Amino acid sequence: MEAEVIKAELVLPTHMSFKRIQMYGKYPKGQSKVRWKQLKQILQAEICQNYSPDEPNYVNIESPPSMQPCKRICDITGFEAPYHDPRTNLRYANADVFKLVRSLPNEYVQRYLALRKAAVVLR
Amino acid sequence: MPFISKIQRQTDYNRFPPSTPIVIDNGASYFRIGWAGETEPRVIFRNIVQRPRHKSTGETVTIVGDHDPALLKYFDCTRSGPRSAFDSNVVFQFEIMEYVLDFAFDRLGANGSRIDHPILITECVCNPVHSRSKMAELLFETYGVRSVAFGVDAVFSYKYNQLHGICEKDGLAICPGFTTTHVIPFVDGEPVYKGCCRTNIGGYHITDYLKQLLSLKYPHHMARFTWEKVEDLKMEHCYIAPDYALEAQLFQKGGKEAEYKTRCWQLPWVPLPTDEPPSEAEIAQKAAIRERQGQRLREMAEAKRSSRINELENQLQGLEFLLQQLGQVQEEDIQSFLSETGYASKQEIELTLTKVTQSLRKAKGEPKPEQAENEEKADSCTSDKYPLINVPDNMLTPEQLKEKKRQIFLKITTEGRQRAKQKRVEEELERERKTQQDEERRLENPQLYLEQMHTKYKELYEKVEQRKRLKTNGGHTNGSSSGGVGRGERLNAAQRERMRLLTTAAFDRGKGEDTFGAKDEDWQLYKLMGKDNDDDDDGADEDEAELARVSSRLQEIDPTFVPKPEPTASQPATTEVPHVRPLTKEDFQIVLGVERFRCPEILFHPNLVGIDQMGLDEMTGVSIRRLPSKDKALANRLTSSVFMTGGCSLFPGINERLEAGIRMLQPCGSPIKVVRALDPVLDAWRGASLYAANSRFHQQTFSRSDYYEKGEDWLRQYQVRYTL
Repeated sequence: MEAEVIKAELVLPTHMSFKRIQMYGKYPKGQSKVRWKQLKQILQAEICQNYSPDEPNYVNIESPPSMQPCKRICDITGFEAPYHDPRTNLRYANADVFKLVRSLPNEYVQRYLALRKAAVVLR
Repeated sequence: MPFISKIQRQTDYNRFPPSTPIVIDNGASYFRIGWAGETEPRVIFRNIVQRPRHKSTGETVTIVGDHDPALLKYFDCTRSGPRSAFDSNVVFQFEIMEYVLDFAFDRLGANGSRIDHPILITECVCNPVHSRSKMAELLFETYGVRSVAFGVDAVFSYKYNQLHGICEKDGLAICPGFTTTHVIPFVDGEPVYKGCCRTNIGGYHITDYLKQLLSLKYPHHMARFTWEKVEDLKMEHCYIAPDYALEAQLFQKGGKEAEYKTRCWQLPWVPLPTDEPPSEAEIAQKAAIRERQGQRLREMAEAKRSSRINELENQLQGLEFLLQQLGQVQEEDIQSFLSETGYASKQEIELTLTKVTQSLRKAKGEPKPEQAENEEKADSCTSDKYPLINVPDNMLTPEQLKEKKRQIFLKITTEGRQRAKQKRVEEELERERKTQQDEERRLENPQLYLEQMHTKYKELYEKVEQRKRLKTNGGHTNGSSSGGVGRGERLNAAQRERMRLLTTAAFDRGKGEDTFGAKDEDWQLYKLMGKDNDDDDDGADEDEAELARVSSRLQEIDPTFVPKPEPTASQPATTEVPHVRPLTKEDFQIVLGVERFRCPEILFHPNLVGIDQMGLDEMTGVSIRRLPSKDKALANRLTSSVFMTGGCSLFPGINERLEAGIRMLQPCGSPIKVVRALDPVLDAWRGASLYAANSRFHQQTFSRSDYYEKGEDWLRQYQVRYTL
């Protein structure tokens, strides 16, 4: 370990005096790949508990979809976009932007669509 | 402003008695820890952990928070991205949480065998019981903490500001955070979680959106747009427009106001040393050098030519002398004489003689008709060299047969050559005639002729360009969602025809046996395919040749005609950097125009990024609706004290926008007042600190025994009472 790294105390020391069980004891190297429950699983477990629906829980308090009509803005420039390109599925504002849209390679098209979560996901 | 990092190790840990609570604000962006009763947290750092490997020793170390990037060069950081214990404001990775807590307690100066203080730690609204219990377990088991309390950070912030008179007892707390945004109504000083509303949009999404937009707009500078830099940009330059549509129109028109609002970031750039345009003297020098080189080449060519002429003349003389000698020599001695010289017969000598004279004439550069005459003469004198052709086969010996075959072959080739020459001459005459006709037409009606030429040119140009476009556009077509269509678009008509023929040939045979090729007609298939392909190419060439001729003609006769650029060169790919011109200063400028207000807009319209939930203004309406008591007076009281806290509330213009939004939703005339926290970032911790310093705080905590005896259900119901 280089001197300046030690001096800067960059690295977390492995032994802490105030801990009852140290990290290397809890998670021995190379053995326990602890699988933590992902948020989805946690929430599913909660739902299954059959609590009263009146009580607020994590899923309950989520906001519903928007009541306002969807705002359509151009994917590339950000202006208002009344038009939509059927081939690439992008929204565009005027003819100049359309030229740009048609000349984009597929990779960029998919990335623009991914901003809106409208990309084609192949998995 | 961004990335405050206070990680100095504190030395006064032992000054605090075991009853002093430690206050932790465990946020998705920052982790703040300090002592209860103080106004500033002692230790602040970003809530991320990296586990790189040390380059020389190879061990995996843990680094918590942001650190000096210069020091990180000793570590191999390729496989260790920064990781967070959070998944959208809920803690789920407790190993990382443990690293973070380790680091935090260490920097707070903790020593001794356990953390002997009560801990107040923040969590998200309606934290799932699994997360809560694991956190409690971590604190009790590993750190030996005696008592723990959980609270919501936004509520603490609200209470703190209520104390300072910023907001009322009843009000709405709006907290746009790092990963989520909450709206929590307060009635009588206590939060009503039933009316709470949460949207999964936060500062993280705004930064990510801005990062993606900039990367797509400036793909060459993508390496510059690191997360930290983009967050910097966001905090410095982004604002919320009072009305998105109007603002966008302003920028679209591109007037002075839009320019005033556009910010430009100049990346460091070193101009390439430009070559100065060569001066007059240099140009003249270069021309002189070229002239000299040309001269030298010409002289060399001349010398070669004259030496060759000399050679040929010598040869000619020698042959003539030989002939003379031959004439003088007597009949019997001819054979022996000839064998000495190396020629088989007199005719051969004469033949070589004529050849040499021809070459000489060519070398001297005499005009062609003479040569044509010569050729004809040569032909005629060789025509009597085919005496054997007309003699029928059965009268000849095998040697003579061979001779006859050779003569037939020679005759056919010479005749073919003659015919070709004749055709060429005829074509020349034809072309001459056509150009004369053209000229006549032009002279009699110049205007009409010109128009005709122009239209012809345009048509040809269109045809050629279209063909070129068809050929290359297959590669550029943007793939549509249906993959099958894409393949079809890429092939042009001829290729598709070929595919069709091949596939039908394969299928027509019937399953199980492949009898393609048994019959001869099957192979005609390839003839068809081959023809299709050739036609296409030939047609293209013809058209192009025609186009070239027409354009040159137009150039001659029409002074105003400007030929359109070559079809091959006029396909600019707009996404490529034109390598021809040198990179200028402008190429290294990042312009933030519309992005400045487009990115924070997603707080109000999450469907801009595809998240199908409500924005801030609508959430307030939903929150008020969800309250159990439908009281109009209460609603008025709530809207008259709308309190904004959280890191994202620092965008300029958010207050006015929110006010306008709420006004749209609420009945006309309701009092609306939007206020911002004194310090949206640190107020949560301050509120918690104040709360923990209260003497009655310890009644709100729960201890280890509580946790183990009362079970999960009790833990779920556990809520602190915020008004002490």
